[in-house]
Amino acid sequence: MAEYWGIKVEDIFNTMQERFRPEGAKDVDAVFGYDIKDEGKWKLTVKNNEMKIDKTSDLAGCIATMEADGETFVGVNTGKVDATNAFMSGKVKVEGDMGAFGKTGKLFRKYVIAQKEMTVKDYLADMFATVVSRFKAKEAEGLEASFAFDLGGQEGGKWTVFIKDKVCTVTTTIEGKPTVTLEFNDAKDYVDFILGKIDAQSILAAGKASAKGDINMMASKWPILFEKYKDPMGGNIPEQELIVLKKTISVNQKFSTGPIMGKFLKGLKDKKIYANKCPQCGRLQLPPREVCAECRVRAADFVEVGPKGEVRYMDLVYYAMPDPLTGVARETPYGGINILFDGCKGNETLPHFIRKDQIEKIQMGWNEKKGTRVRPVWEENRTGDIWDIKYFEIDE
Amino acid sequence: MAKKIAICAVAQIKNDPDYHYLRFQNMLLECFESIIKQTKVTFDMEKGIRTIITCSDDVFDARTISNNGITDVVGAHFRGEEKMAQESINGLGYAMACILSGHDDLILFMGHCKESQGESRRMVSNLAYDPFYCRPLGMDYHNVDAMQARAYMEKSKVTDEHLAKIVVRSRKNGKQNPYGRENKIVTEKEAMQSPMYSDPLREIYIYPVTDWAYGMLLCSEERAKEFTNNPVWITGYGSCMDTYFLGDKDLTSNFSLKNAAQRSYAKAGIKDPRKEIQLFELSDHAAYQLPMWAEGVGIADEGNGGKWIDDGGMDKFNVNLSGGQLNGNPLLLGGAARAIECYYHLSNQAGTRQVKNAKRAVAQATYGGAGQHQAVIVMES
Amino acid sequence: MAHKKNRNVGIIGIGQTKHSSHREDVNQPELIHEAVSLALKDAKLTMKDIDCVVHGNMELFEMVHSPDLWHVLGTGAYGKECIRITTGGTVGATISCASDNLVASGMYDIVMAIGFEKLQEGHTTGGITNMACPLWFRKIQAGALTGSSAYDVEREFGVERADKASLTYRIIMDKHAGLNPNAHRAFGLEFSQIDDLIRTSPKLVGNLKLIEMCSQSDGACCVIFACEKKAKEIAKTPVWIRDHITVHKEENFNIFGYDRKFPVLKTHKFAAENLFKRNGITDPINYFDVFEMYDPASWWAIDWIRDFFGLKGDEHLKLIEDKEIMIGGKMPINPSGGVIGSNPIGATALIRVAEAAMQVRGNAGPHQIPTPVNHALASGFGGTMWTVMTMLEKELNW
Repeated sequence: MAEYWGIKVEDIFNTMQERFRPEGAKDVDAVFGYDIKDEGKWKLTVKNNEMKIDKTSDLAGCIATMEADGETFVGVNTGKVDATNAFMSGKVKVEGDMGAFGKTGKLFRKYVIAQKEMTVKDYLADMFATVVSRFKAKEAEGLEASFAFDLGGQEGGKWTVFIKDKVCTVTTTIEGKPTVTLEFNDAKDYVDFILGKIDAQSILAAGKASAKGDINMMASKWPILFEKYKDPMGGNIPEQELIVLKKTISVNQKFSTGPIMGKFLKGLKDKKIYANKCPQCGRLQLPPREVCAECRVRAADFVEVGPKGEVRYMDLVYYAMPDPLTGVARETPYGGINILFDGCKGNETLPHFIRKDQIEKIQMGWNEKKGTRVRPVWEENRTGDIWDIKYFEIDE
Repeated sequence: MAKKIAICAVAQIKNDPDYHYLRFQNMLLECFESIIKQTKVTFDMEKGIRTIITCSDDVFDARTISNNGITDVVGAHFRGEEKMAQESINGLGYAMACILSGHDDLILFMGHCKESQGESRRMVSNLAYDPFYCRPLGMDYHNVDAMQARAYMEKSKVTDEHLAKIVVRSRKNGKQNPYGRENKIVTEKEAMQSPMYSDPLREIYIYPVTDWAYGMLLCSEERAKEFTNNPVWITGYGSCMDTYFLGDKDLTSNFSLKNAAQRSYAKAGIKDPRKEIQLFELSDHAAYQLPMWAEGVGIADEGNGGKWIDDGGMDKFNVNLSGGQLNGNPLLLGGAARAIECYYHLSNQAGTRQVKNAKRAVAQATYGGAGQHQAVIVMES
Repeated sequence: MAHKKNRNVGIIGIGQTKHSSHREDVNQPELIHEAVSLALKDAKLTMKDIDCVVHGNMELFEMVHSPDLWHVLGTGAYGKECIRITTGGTVGATISCASDNLVASGMYDIVMAIGFEKLQEGHTTGGITNMACPLWFRKIQAGALTGSSAYDVEREFGVERADKASLTYRIIMDKHAGLNPNAHRAFGLEFSQIDDLIRTSPKLVGNLKLIEMCSQSDGACCVIFACEKKAKEIAKTPVWIRDHITVHKEENFNIFGYDRKFPVLKTHKFAAENLFKRNGITDPINYFDVFEMYDPASWWAIDWIRDFFGLKGDEHLKLIEDKEIMIGGKMPINPSGGVIGSNPIGATALIRVAEAAMQVRGNAGPHQIPTPVNHALASGFGGTMWTVMTMLEKELNW
């Protein structure tokens, strides 16, 4: 089985049980499938706030199945691959009920890549192994020098870094007469010093370390000659935490309705739908507007239309749209319809919603073709608001 | 001779504390119809209006793209429309550019604001500040203005009595203005006993919440005669932006206003505003700003605002005969209100407020806390 | 009405940020400052040379009132003249038109336009929905998402052909975005994925799929405009603004005709016809060498190509199917990857002008069209089907 970032596809599935969040599984009662290319198939059953994962050869009966290759699957689960991009570009596919599959996002805690501890010995090996790659040749013009490191303790060792003709080499011994020699009683202090955990002053003051020879060469020239050592364990942690402030901003409003929209909204209280009519071109407007934009004249005459009509167009909305006035996401899918009321013509339609369980039965009208007939379902207590009409339903 | 554009007609509704029975569309429509009636202008693609400039604000309207809801009532259906999302006076400057560029020869300029719609204008102006530091501190235009007021009053020896005097005069003048907001006439004593709002500013020293809309027809020099026998000209416009953090600037320096005024005067060829201009309309969002802006536009000596009031400067230079912003215009639209007042005087239609032989006038407006952005236009008969 | 102009105006400096949904590393003025610095560097100018700054975005996306006040920290407008103009999605195009007007008027010699948006700092679809009337549409609308355009095209050309054309367009944009280092989204899509994506890309509304909709980006764009005299002094290849047109439409979301007896007048078509007529352009598809189109979704894009160029029947679909809109094709559209590739809304329409101008200059980089670009077109879209179109020229020859 292939590994990606040191993790196998199986690791993701095998840890699902311990990463499971029952609070994220409320109202989920489904079987989901995972088809990972060249790796196998898994079946995830979620019911009664519990889960079960099985390796399987048959994904029949799954409400939705995710398909991906191993690298993408591990990447998305560990945050190494941007999930949205993988999804949009087709590297991750979902067959079946997309909306239901969306709920799996809340079922699990994220898979955290276990970080291997690095010992002092590991660090020293890494630090001197990267010296050459961190060397900035252009800063070494005309320089010939050798830097010796004598680091004590069980995990310590000796190294010399030579610079000559703008070339840097490293040996694991101390030879000849170095330009400068740095001695540490305990190699661990050197590692902590390089990682920025302790400062040079305090080590020197405590007599834990000393420098011999051209001290200035070590103190001033070394930082110019070499790029700073990067801690591989801290590799993904940015140096500065990027703080993001989250705020919800709202200023309460009272929206006037004015004489035109006001008349229309008042009509709803009486279960009547009023369109206003342009005195010049005769077009009707729903909801009514103060003027006819085309003729640039006031349109103050009203005509009662509907309340029954036909659907000319329906937007079947799958995207969970937050209601801007409440912030609560609308439940999907839902149908936003444009209704051509009896008495209206052409594009004189009014937008509203269709009853949720009737979405699939709606036929849209087009040219001479008639759309599904609908009627408003009125709210008992009407206040002169859009929701005086709960929704429209098929007029059978 | 400076390049200029004409104002052919203006229209407005009365400034009101709360047009609760009108949508802003209704408010604009009144003005739109008046302009069409006055000028018989059309929307013909060759000879009529092709470009409408509007002025409104998304936060005050609580609408993303606040100009979206007004396309029809400003006649912009299948015509161009651009929104000045700044103090309305800059719409006049921009209209000047549109016309002088040759791209347009006719501009309809419409603006609206319903300050009564939102729960608090302070919550709106608080949103003008950065979300990290100034906004959580509670900065808004009023309390930032109050800081400027404190500093300016110290520098120019302006007292609580002076501010009371400015308010009393503003309300008296406002009564003469048929479109002025209806405010209670007060005495200086009553004013000074009224509640404090943002020290040293009493509530009465700050412009009141107001709903208003206006329209103006602007055109090139060549075409003015088609629409009016009595055009008023805009001959100069200048603006200036000051920096943002209060600690980065001297709140009493009038930096941005001085720059804006000089730029505007230079375009209009004005050398000495005290001699060449007969009327000044200044956007005093709060009473202290009247003498402060008077210093900025060059009719009061710097640091002498208090004495200038004592010496009768406000009447000598015909400042804010409309009642000024202090009598009530929406924050965003003070500049248009100032320009419209100047238009009335320069076209001899100012009624009981008329300044005799007014040839040139200055309209000034500002937005942001402590006058961060300033703009000045020069108008001529 | 023939077009006339008081004096000529050229684009002399362009700067844009990398567009991305992860710009937590900068705040709003800092993001703007990146674009401003790049534009000044491009023009070899400093802020001292700028007479006026024009600022534009949509403040409710970030919920900052009069943002030019705070943004002065990044715009460099301190001590300068500064105006702020916004017109919704078209705002970037509008501030370009405004800058042209300001310079052409003779009131200013050098003007800087800055379009900006940091969409991650708000809720974009909620913000767009807030543009609708609070008494009715706001409670029903789903932001800029609608399946009606897909429905229209499918009705006219059949579902299979329409779906394929939409995805072909989408993949061409992705290939272009892959060449543009500033683009937000470049997935590396292949034409072989068309059938797969039609089947698997999640549906947003009707047959509008996730893959077909534009992104929500953080980004800024800055363009510097100068009068003819200064432009010739400063820039090696100034790009001249020939003309621009703005057309708005009433606030009404029933904008798609459902009945052939009642055809709907379309703003893009109206704008294009008027703009070309007054400039004597009779054959736009052959006249222009590149078109940077504001394409919020691939369905809209494929439909609009017909409107903008006045094409007949299925000519627009053939252009797409034959990949003539690709870099190297007969009418390259959006070498930048378009709005589908990057969409910091307040900057988006200005990026169209900037990218078109870069093509004219010939230094767009990896997404430069190989053949000479002498005539470029840019469009903006916003509101309820608003249009702004801008014509750019290499030579002052009209």
